[in-house]
Amino acid sequence: MIRWRLGRDPLYSEMARLQRGMEDLFEALASGRPTATSPWWSNANLFPLLNVYEREDCYIVTAEIPGIKKDDLEIKMEGDTLSLKGERQHQQPEGQAAYHRRERAKGSFQRSITLPGKVDPQKVKANYKDGVLTVTLAKEPAALPKQIDIVTE
Amino acid sequence: MADQEMQVTHKKEVEANRGEFMSEGPYFAPAVDIYETEQELIVLADMPGVNSDHVEIDLRDNSLTIVGKAPLDKEEGTALLAEYRKGNYFRTFRITDVVDQTKISASFSDGVLRITLPKVAKAVPRKIPITTE
Repeated sequence: MIRWRLGRDPLYSEMARLQRGMEDLFEALASGRPTATSPWWSNANLFPLLNVYEREDCYIVTAEIPGIKKDDLEIKMEGDTLSLKGERQHQQPEGQAAYHRRERAKGSFQRSITLPGKVDPQKVKANYKDGVLTVTLAKEPAALPKQIDIVTE
Repeated sequence: MADQEMQVTHKKEVEANRGEFMSEGPYFAPAVDIYETEQELIVLADMPGVNSDHVEIDLRDNSLTIVGKAPLDKEEGTALLAEYRKGNYFRTFRITDVVDQTKISASFSDGVLRITLPKVAKAVPRKIPITTE
């Protein structure tokens, strides 16, 4: 039987260091931001999964959140960070019910994503149709690519 | 008590094995909830991105098949992050004789398909009243 001695036990401090390392790693992955190592396809484990597209004048963020009411969904914009927060309730069956299968997730969710460029917060539009949330964020005018004319002298 | 945090389930790709499908693209199995009350069975399937014109429910022999086709939309732009794939949905269930096949109904809203399968009358539990003579 192993008896743990907390505090100054060198094994414990090593385990604590390992745990802190794991927590940092989890924090980096759990923040939901595209990291340097996997900017494109990420094995995210946060709900909802997001797809982000870039067009010349805007960013488009899409998420699949079926079966939610607009009142249960909150979208916030802070600087260049888009935050989604909400709750997915299922209508409870009336009376006695036995579940044969229960695959659809339910509960609360919260996720933020920082866009890589500056966004005009006044021009953010969100649309929810057929279970898909689409948020269109117009880029700030200063961030739009500008054509530079060449003048020959 | 705090609400639980939602877990993510990645979509599972499946083989759509009916010949009449002409739609290109991957098929995924939608997440379903199936529960049974005294009168009926209810199936709820998550099919986001599909609109109600593109949902098909096929019933033959003792097999219920749900198909949802998500229209391939135009290129949205350059993808910066792609955590989920878009595609069609396909799933088959076997239904037993407990279900009255003529009375199955379905509705679709916000990406969730709800199918109601009423049970055959004799399968509904009933209390038998006792008369004293």
